[in-house]
Amino acid sequence: MATTVAVAKQPKRGGRWSPWLFALPALLVYVGFLVYPAVSSLWFSLTNWDGLSATYKFVGLDNYFKLPHDPVVVTAVRNNLIWTVVTIAVPTIIGLLLAIALNGKVHGKPILRLIFYTPAVLPLVSIASIWGWLYNPQYGAINSFLRLIGLDGLAQPWLGQDSTALWAVMVPAIWLRTGFPMLLYLAALQGIPNELYEAATVDGATKWQQFWHVTMPSLRPAHYIVIALSLIDSFKVFDMIYAMTYGGPGTSTQVMGTWMYFNVFQYYQAGYGTAIAVVITLVAIAVGIPYVRSQTREAS
Amino acid sequence: MTLTAPAAVDLPLDTAEPASPGPKGRRGLVMTLVLIVVALFWISPLALLVITAVRPLADFIGNGPLSWPDHLTWTNFKDAWDIGNFATTYKNSAILAAIKVPLGVLVSAMLGFALAKLRMKFRRTVMFAVFLGLTIPIYITIVPVFIMMRSLGATDSIFGLIGPYLAFGIPFEVLVLQSFFRQIPDEIIEAAKVDGAGDWRVFFTMILPLSVPALVTVAILDAVATWNEFLFALILLNSDAHKTIPVGLLNFQGQFANNNTGLAAGILIAVVPILIAYTLLQRWIVGGLTAGSLKG
Repeated sequence: MATTVAVAKQPKRGGRWSPWLFALPALLVYVGFLVYPAVSSLWFSLTNWDGLSATYKFVGLDNYFKLPHDPVVVTAVRNNLIWTVVTIAVPTIIGLLLAIALNGKVHGKPILRLIFYTPAVLPLVSIASIWGWLYNPQYGAINSFLRLIGLDGLAQPWLGQDSTALWAVMVPAIWLRTGFPMLLYLAALQGIPNELYEAATVDGATKWQQFWHVTMPSLRPAHYIVIALSLIDSFKVFDMIYAMTYGGPGTSTQVMGTWMYFNVFQYYQAGYGTAIAVVITLVAIAVGIPYVRSQTREAS
Repeated sequence: MTLTAPAAVDLPLDTAEPASPGPKGRRGLVMTLVLIVVALFWISPLALLVITAVRPLADFIGNGPLSWPDHLTWTNFKDAWDIGNFATTYKNSAILAAIKVPLGVLVSAMLGFALAKLRMKFRRTVMFAVFLGLTIPIYITIVPVFIMMRSLGATDSIFGLIGPYLAFGIPFEVLVLQSFFRQIPDEIIEAAKVDGAGDWRVFFTMILPLSVPALVTVAILDAVATWNEFLFALILLNSDAHKTIPVGLLNFQGQFANNNTGLAAGILIAVVPILIAYTLLQRWIVGGLTAGSLKG
């Protein structure tokens, strides 16, 4: 009798509320400072609030209808797209190549890896400063280098002209985003059993065939993680653009994140600016959901 | 000391192929040389920054950015330190990280523990909702957060940043920590419970001590993110006395637009602590990043 009582009580030890006591502090902060603000942005995006006045009007979906007629939004969407494709594809490919090279018989692997990952820990603002300084038309190292090797004609104001500004900002973004895929691919490569390669060699597979038929299929989980996380990250672009070009010259390097900021804090169109943020956030969530679901499923 | 490679990552690789001389060894050497060249190229922006920071401005202007310095000087650092207000921004960033990081790791560990080891209702829903936070860009929240902080009187204070920073750190920290906690065998928890330990004692005396590697990794990554955060700091902090390193650096960049050597010194001042920390702690960063994401 006594034992049955004890057994019956066992799962209740700590009470049914105990898990929630552990969960509560983090959930409160999360809801209070992330979920609630994000959701109330939905409301602001339906108003004509200027960001200063005490009052504002509900305007329905007007802000959203205005978006396609705003030429800067069109530019920003295009820039976001270019940014997403380039800053995912290029770092992933360079990172994979570096990982494969580092996975071979190479000396000084730890220090090489340290160097390639270094840009990823720097503040984005400092990366923007460093590259802004390298791009300086007169005293920057990049133009100096071009003049040094006789390519004077190629020296140009990289950040100061529409045709090159966005690309010039993407170069440091690639620089800082290559380290992560490299680390991930390196760890994944080291997890591929050597027997697979030995078997392939016995079967007469060339190095090239081994790469496509052994290495690449084994890296599928790593590809998934790299691309999912880069994709999620790419929609957040703000710091680099803000600190390097301030959306300029003109509005040629505006992305949705910065154009939202300019509308809210420079042009006092908080309602309209928030609508811009809502659109890009919905895209980010939609794109990120498969990854979030895979993480949730994994844990269950 | 930077060469203390993470054994867990490097071991399988080093033992995979026994060193064999001949053409294979030579190819390793060629590959090493290629990688060294690429690495030098990769790090050249930072190397140039260091060289520029220690040379006089006149020398830089006269001989160009790619020349070797005439002589070395520390005055750039002194100028940058004074004008860039770095004593203040350093202090603010350090206080912020010292409060935010331990607090964030603790509440995330608690939530992670509830999700991984306690029978919690709506567990999957909570998990999904929290992980969804990984996809939310900061800028969707800045208008309401700004209003909230203004009504709380917490604008222009680093303490107003703590709440938003915690909230945006929680998804990643919970993701990594709960997956680590999950690997702790249920049996030892059950055994402790049979001995009369409650959930809190299990958490503080078993889970946390067993998870030190994961906690350290998460704390380091969180410290880097906190130290580097820009957008919230930009909209919430106005006065120079309350700015953090990234916002301070941006101001400084404007003031030093025509003083290239001073600018280089200022950028270096801002990034040196993070570079030193990264070099010393890279084992944790590398291990944690790869373990945390590959498991998922």
